Amino acid sequence: MKYLIIVILLFILFSLGSAMFYLVKGKGQSQNTVRFLTVRVALSVLLFLFIILAAYMGWIEPHQPNFLNRP
Amino acid sequence: MSEASKDQYYVPHLAKWPIVGSIGLTVTVLGAINLLNSENPGTPWVMYLGLAIIIWMMFGWFGEVVKESEERLYNTQVDTSFRMGMIWFIFSEVMFFACFFGALFYARNFSVPWLGGEGTGLATNEVLYPGYEGVWPTNGPLDLGGQFTLIDPYHLPLVNTLLLLASSVTITIAHHALRANNRKQTVIWLIATVLLGAIFIFYQAEEYVIAYQEYNLKLSSGIYGSTFFMLTGFHGMHVTLGAIMISVITVRVWRGHFRPESHFGFEAVAWYWHFVDVVWLGLFIFVYII
Repeated sequence: MKYLIIVILLFILFSLGSAMFYLVKGKGQSQNTVRFLTVRVALSVLLFLFIILAAYMGWIEPHQPNFLNRP
Repeated sequence: MSEASKDQYYVPHLAKWPIVGSIGLTVTVLGAINLLNSENPGTPWVMYLGLAIIIWMMFGWFGEVVKESEERLYNTQVDTSFRMGMIWFIFSEVMFFACFFGALFYARNFSVPWLGGEGTGLATNEVLYPGYEGVWPTNGPLDLGGQFTLIDPYHLPLVNTLLLLASSVTITIAHHALRANNRKQTVIWLIATVLLGAIFIFYQAEEYVIAYQEYNLKLSSGIYGSTFFMLTGFHGMHVTLGAIMISVITVRVWRGHFRPESHFGFEAVAWYWHFVDVVWLGLFIFVYII
């Protein structure tokens, strides 16, 4: 499940990077920047919901400090 | 000043702000050196004066750029240089956060396990820190800063994630509204974005107070505390900066600046906000959860 989270995060980074590419190259005329930013937000909301689901289902567990694991 | 032509690069006639900026930087650094080197506690006021000069320079310089932009003095060459400036700025920002995320990754996956005796680190563990278990999170083999409690990711950090995500949604709505030339909607959603950002900063400060006063989790709490506060602290500073930038953009939209087909200032700030939100997602996942 950790890896699925990281894969979605990579897609988010890709859409953010694409938005930057069109921001620099597009001269403001094209809709591509705002489109990719919208995709970026949609993916982020999806990831957020997935994290909540994964935590609720026990697929991912928060880490604990090592001194708490000592006998 | 002449009208913008296609071939000529616009050069301002009297550029006083660069030298003001240089003086501001020099005074700031001299003040900081004085503060650090004084045997008695040095006065911070020289440094504050330098910072004040820099802020004055920013107001003056950016104000002039906004004015010249609205007077249509800039042609496509200037437009390209603004976009180039943005990408280099973002490159430095990406590298900045890559350093801190990299430090976190290296500590978690390499140096801490080695100290705990993993792989070829067995002798390191036996000789230096016998009995130390390299489990993350850790305050290191010497229990630097004493034991601490972790912040529960599903309370304040979850709320903060929701706040920042919501602010990204609102700025995206504002972005679409500006492209549709709906100024009223743009201003409303921009104000919502700034407010959500401000609430985020408030809760982040609240979390720091709880961490320091109740959880004994401090910047000095070994490698975990250091990476935690460096990453979240610098991110918080970026949210603050982004909120200030969006406030300025809101006033500009209110005053009728930008056009549906030409609004680089707006788009750059919007992108920056998205970037800061993605950094937070990374923090939420790698610092708080996984």
